[in-house]
Amino acid sequence: MFNKVLIANRGEIALRIVRACRELGVGSVAVFSDADASAPHAREADEAVNIGAAPSRESYLRADKLIDAARRTGAEAIHPGYGFLSEREHFAREVTEAGLVFIGPPASAIAAVGSKTAARALAATANVPVVPGTTDSLRDAKEAAEVAERLGYPVLLKAAAGGGGKGMRVVRAAPELAPALESARREAMTSFGDDAVYVEKYIAGPRHVEIQVLGDHHGTMHSLGERECSIQRRHQKMIEEAPSVAVAPKLRKAMGDTAVRMARAAGYVNAGTCEFLLDANGDFYFLEMNTRLQVEHPVTELVSGLDLVQWQIRIAAGERLPTAPMMTEPRGWAIECRITSEDAGNDFLPSTGIISFLRVPGGPGVRWDGGVGAGSEIGLHYDPLLGKLIAWADTREAAIARMRRALLELTIVGVETSRDFHLRVMDDPEFQTGAIDIQWLERRLPSLTAGAGTPDGEIAVAIAAALLAESERAGRLAPAASSTLRGGDADAWRIAGLRDGLRRR
Amino acid sequence: MIYVVEVNGRRINVDVRDGEAIVDGVKYSVSMHAVAGTPVRIVGVNDEVHRTVLRERVARGRYRLWLDGHRYDTEALDSRARAIRDMQASVAKPAGPAPLRAPMPGLIVQLRVQVGDTVHAGAGLVVMEAMKMENELRAPAAGKVRAVHVVVGAAVEKGALLVELE
Repeated sequence: MFNKVLIANRGEIALRIVRACRELGVGSVAVFSDADASAPHAREADEAVNIGAAPSRESYLRADKLIDAARRTGAEAIHPGYGFLSEREHFAREVTEAGLVFIGPPASAIAAVGSKTAARALAATANVPVVPGTTDSLRDAKEAAEVAERLGYPVLLKAAAGGGGKGMRVVRAAPELAPALESARREAMTSFGDDAVYVEKYIAGPRHVEIQVLGDHHGTMHSLGERECSIQRRHQKMIEEAPSVAVAPKLRKAMGDTAVRMARAAGYVNAGTCEFLLDANGDFYFLEMNTRLQVEHPVTELVSGLDLVQWQIRIAAGERLPTAPMMTEPRGWAIECRITSEDAGNDFLPSTGIISFLRVPGGPGVRWDGGVGAGSEIGLHYDPLLGKLIAWADTREAAIARMRRALLELTIVGVETSRDFHLRVMDDPEFQTGAIDIQWLERRLPSLTAGAGTPDGEIAVAIAAALLAESERAGRLAPAASSTLRGGDADAWRIAGLRDGLRRR
Repeated sequence: MIYVVEVNGRRINVDVRDGEAIVDGVKYSVSMHAVAGTPVRIVGVNDEVHRTVLRERVARGRYRLWLDGHRYDTEALDSRARAIRDMQASVAKPAGPAPLRAPMPGLIVQLRVQVGDTVHAGAGLVVMEAMKMENELRAPAAGKVRAVHVVVGAAVEKGALLVELE
């Protein structure tokens, strides 16, 4: 086992990896940008190294600085988390060439499936079903138009290097194609530094179901069941659960075997995920393979009883996985809500400020994987994920009730968050039946975010407001009230962000 | 003291005195306790407990709060202040469609309209990038574009005037 691991990430996932290291008795080295000097991940690790300025391109995306920090602190391995450099083949290679261990798949496996076009080509050879489309990235708008005509509209544009919905566009008719391509390319360039985009047939109404795989360096590869990730907005996952209401044991096995076949074809090692579209007939199509830990890995952990991050580290250190199945059937039900600094009541626009108050839920079956604390400044440099709230119970119905209860306890003041939106979803009768697909949220969003409050609550609210006004009149409005004023409207951090924006042009 | 409280556009009269509140002729025993060092207020209405979070004091009497998992924008003015405010509002001239302002700091990546274009409510006017995502900003109401105040590539602050409609 390693003595020390460097964590090349920030936020909740960096903290998650610190926790795994500590439980394994492995030292942890955090890295942080100028903006994250007092961030929870930096203060919880055993050591922390400043790797540069706030913009990711000058810090979290700098392979040279990360490798240098590992050398300097004597870390033997680097865990990339998700996002940033986690799926960059060059990073995995550079880490290995520096004599360090990359906690993830070999660079060759990232190359084999890391690009979606390469993954589709490999899937075809491994007898893994895929959605019809191009396997080469588009040269220009003319080629895009030709392919789209051949497949028939609607089509989907996707960034080859992408993930998380960035650089992805649905095109319903020919006139929308050129502007959508331009926009997808631009977003792909900003997010991934690579503007390659490809096109595929858009399958209406399917579920997004993905399979977790885990393989060691000794030829053992397991599938660890599915995650249902259909609750998406603009192709960004919002709520995930395990298992899926649409997957019975027989289908679970078929999808699991397919995922293992795909991973083996890629020469895959460590934790990875095969994403599939699952249609109403139970037919499934391979979408892409994520060559890293997923944001939503906790739901699998809760229904399998496994610690995926610890296994990632143990596998990288050369340990063997058990050869007997690690998970046969899921135990109970787990749901995850991604709590982001986005204002659901205002078209999910990003919200910035300082978190002035944070109350994390507790009680049975509740897990909070967070990356912020009171005093954390939420700027525009990084992903808006503040933390993940995960609930486990023995049935889906009980898990929803538990999640609802935990969401009511969760209190974040200082930035707008997606919490209220998640509460509305838990209260939604259709969500409760499990009749969801990847378009469900877009369809239901207007009613889920419409209006605040209930008429019944209005009397209590009116009384609360009158009592607040009364105490303000008497000069008794506690100082805490003024500290809940939104910060960050005219501070240096934001100005730095604007300057960065100017530099990037 | 009688307060006229606006909640979600509805006006509710609340007569507060000595631990009691009268709303629509119904008397409630009420209480409010601040949890020290936090924005949490425990509001009691008869025997019900409502966990209330004061998220922001926008101005005197204007509060954004959560109560039992829902958020509310409220304004509690005493009846005299309410009457004055209403009178002022009635003299103010009705303005044209609200201008489009930047809802967050970010970069302008695309302009979808030019001066003189006619747009319908909800039409995309400007694409802004923040947190690595592109966000389309839409027309708050139908109208004709009177002025465009930004160019592609500009970094704008929250609240910056982007597009004016008439």
